[in-house]
Amino acid sequence: MPACEPPRFEGLVGWRIIADPSALDAAPWPAGSHVVRISPDDAFVIGAAEPGVPGDEHAIVTPELGFAGAAVSAEQVADIALHHIEWQMPTGPCVAQGQIAGVPSKLVLHADGSALLLVACAARHELEDRLG
Amino acid sequence: MSRVVYDGTPIEYEPGDSLAIAALRAGQHPARGGTLCLAGDCGNCSAIVDGTPWVRTCQTEARPGAMVQRHPNGSHPSPGGPEHHTQVTVRHRSADHVVIGNGDSGAAAAAALRSEGHDVLVLDEADGDEVVGVFDGPSIIVRRNDGIEHFHVHHITLATGAAEVHPVCPGNLLAGIFTPKAAAKVQAAGLDLGNVVTVGAELKAFHGEGRVSEVELVDGSRVSCDNVIVNLGSAPRDVLARMAPLVPVQIVGPAAEAHALPAAPQEGVLCPCGKITVEDLDGVWNKGFHDLELVKRSSLCGTGTCQGAVCMPHLRSFVADRSGVEPKPFTARPAARQVSMAEAAAGYHIDTFRRTPLHGEHTKLGATLDKFGGWFRPWNYGDAVSEYWAVREGVSLGDVSTLGKMMVSGPDVVEALERLYPNHVHDIKVGRSRYVINLNERGHVLDDGMICREGDTRFLLTFTSGGASTAEMWVRDWVETWGLKVHVLDRTVSHGAINVTGPLAGELLRRAGVSDDDRPKFLQHRHIDVAGIPCHVMRLSFTGEASFELHHQIDQSVELWQALMELGAPLGIKPHGLQALFGLRLEKGHVIVGQDTELDSTPRRINMDWAVKLEKDAFVGRDALIRTASLPDERRLFGFTMDGPAPLEGSVIRVNGDVVGHVTSSWDSPMYGHAVLMGWQKRLPHADVVEIDGREARVSAVPFYDKEGARARM
Repeated sequence: MPACEPPRFEGLVGWRIIADPSALDAAPWPAGSHVVRISPDDAFVIGAAEPGVPGDEHAIVTPELGFAGAAVSAEQVADIALHHIEWQMPTGPCVAQGQIAGVPSKLVLHADGSALLLVACAARHELEDRLG
Repeated sequence: MSRVVYDGTPIEYEPGDSLAIAALRAGQHPARGGTLCLAGDCGNCSAIVDGTPWVRTCQTEARPGAMVQRHPNGSHPSPGGPEHHTQVTVRHRSADHVVIGNGDSGAAAAAALRSEGHDVLVLDEADGDEVVGVFDGPSIIVRRNDGIEHFHVHHITLATGAAEVHPVCPGNLLAGIFTPKAAAKVQAAGLDLGNVVTVGAELKAFHGEGRVSEVELVDGSRVSCDNVIVNLGSAPRDVLARMAPLVPVQIVGPAAEAHALPAAPQEGVLCPCGKITVEDLDGVWNKGFHDLELVKRSSLCGTGTCQGAVCMPHLRSFVADRSGVEPKPFTARPAARQVSMAEAAAGYHIDTFRRTPLHGEHTKLGATLDKFGGWFRPWNYGDAVSEYWAVREGVSLGDVSTLGKMMVSGPDVVEALERLYPNHVHDIKVGRSRYVINLNERGHVLDDGMICREGDTRFLLTFTSGGASTAEMWVRDWVETWGLKVHVLDRTVSHGAINVTGPLAGELLRRAGVSDDDRPKFLQHRHIDVAGIPCHVMRLSFTGEASFELHHQIDQSVELWQALMELGAPLGIKPHGLQALFGLRLEKGHVIVGQDTELDSTPRRINMDWAVKLEKDAFVGRDALIRTASLPDERRLFGFTMDGPAPLEGSVIRVNGDVVGHVTSSWDSPMYGHAVLMGWQKRLPHADVVEIDGREARVSAVPFYDKEGARARM
């Protein structure tokens, strides 16, 4: 059994943006928002304020409520990696994506080893069960 | 002295004894017979230990009260009981260099690597690290007393040494036969082997009742004995190296050295795991299997628990003797040591089944949930027939949140969709939608769904629930292949969707604040508030009745569902599950891709040529469809009706006693009082009357229900 407390998830409110990578690089994000760059053309902006992407008139900017997130300590990250991650964990800061305990998930790794663990709300129950 | 229990009899052992040594100390063979190597290489000492079968007793330390049972004579043991299937802890670790084996060559290899500045991990059985598998990756699976470890490594050095060769001759399954190192271990444990004879290549046969009492040599002489030590040299202990041929493994020490093969076996058991004899090998050889891999697969020699550790040298010698060419060793399969099911499964998970945001509502309503397309979905709410009538005569809600939903946008989006879909896209007006099928390059139907135009350069695409997971890859792959500028965003898990369906669906929307003017007409879609909740309302129909799909943000699904159920209560609203939905759509003749279609179903085969516009310049699958259009094609999906209960889906369809196809969908229609079906006929001429379940079924035009499609437009 994991030595640490299991992560506690809550639904996240934010915006999902699909745009040219250069436009995302240059986008002025709303104050207080937390940007998770899922891929070069894909950003998840956590925060209520609607962001704009002036550099791409075809950008998709839409509310994103499909993720649940949990702040996990460095100790929890290490524990999760030891027991539930089959792939080699990169060193933060970065976004790591893959299966955790068999559930597609994302880890937004910070420099101090802590992370924001993201999972689709539809699979949240599975991840909670498996990490718990 | 402490005791273990062997086949129900307590026997004493000395501290440090393995279970095998303890058995020998009591004058017994640890299994039922066969050469003992006491090095873990063979399975000749395997027994059931504390309920777990296939345990190598030579590698298992005796402990007070251990319960040991020999495997059944002549058959394999049953898997352990539930108590042996408990969860096993798994740990995932990473390492740069791993050296397997800490003997002389392993220690030297590790020292050399460390001197070069490498981070080296040494795994050795003596330290409790039993390497049972090497996989591509590379990764190494290690069994320990406290669980399983998965090592993700960059470099592997194998220093597992050499294994002693077992004898193959008549009588080689008797007790009392040892390899030299095994005999040394036995003697070091203080056991007296009595009158012991040492033999080598001059060995011809063993004789005795249960255990060896005489050794026969090739010169015909016989020597009496209590035990025999057989020295036939050694062979590389390379099972792990043979497991992952694509993994660059460095082999050092005796495991890497060339060893002469033993003389070709003439008689006796060659593979003790499977009790496969030289005579058995002659049998497959005479049938024409001459390649080592084929001899292995046809005889199963080498597929047992030791994965060729014992039989490999003899099997290679057998093939070399008969073919004149010395074959290379065959591949080994994990695990190198027997592992329990719990150990094998450690760290692996069943597929993730997602829950819609309405999962809790379904549970509250008493739904029976089932798994479809990667989701938990309501099968029914207790009475599928009443759910059916709610759709046909009143109003009903269906949770269709599982549908694939994808936003696409960009300057090249129309061009991309024209190339992706076989139907026209450019002429879809903003606010309108169109049914489409997806084809692969061979013209086979992959999926189906809707295209909704949101703007000049923006669309929403829908896909089936089961096809949603691959839809994004399919779209992205083609868009990137063509180099078109299109943004793609999968919304499947971010948007909920509720289907409001039935002749009173419009009335329910009116009660939810949607005016008749705002309500989209058939194949229109609009962004409007329903019960105060922003929705993207799509007007289409899968049930055959007027239907409005309300797409919305998932955090508002429960509120929307509850509001609609409350507003619909005076209208007799009921939710419907998949059981009713499958019947409703079958009456309407809508295919379910993957259920009614096969992997090579073309639009023509499923009577959907109308969804293909060959006059278009290009779309995925067009060339294949044009090429195959002129070819004869016997396969067709038909509608059928028949009296009596609906046959099981998958039932065989016969014509004049010959099998011509199978039933893909089947439903006892409450509307018609008989069964309606879809199924394949794959032989010409297609019959009008077929036989299913020994009963007559008649071909019937589809749709069975509302052939004019008037009800969907109400």
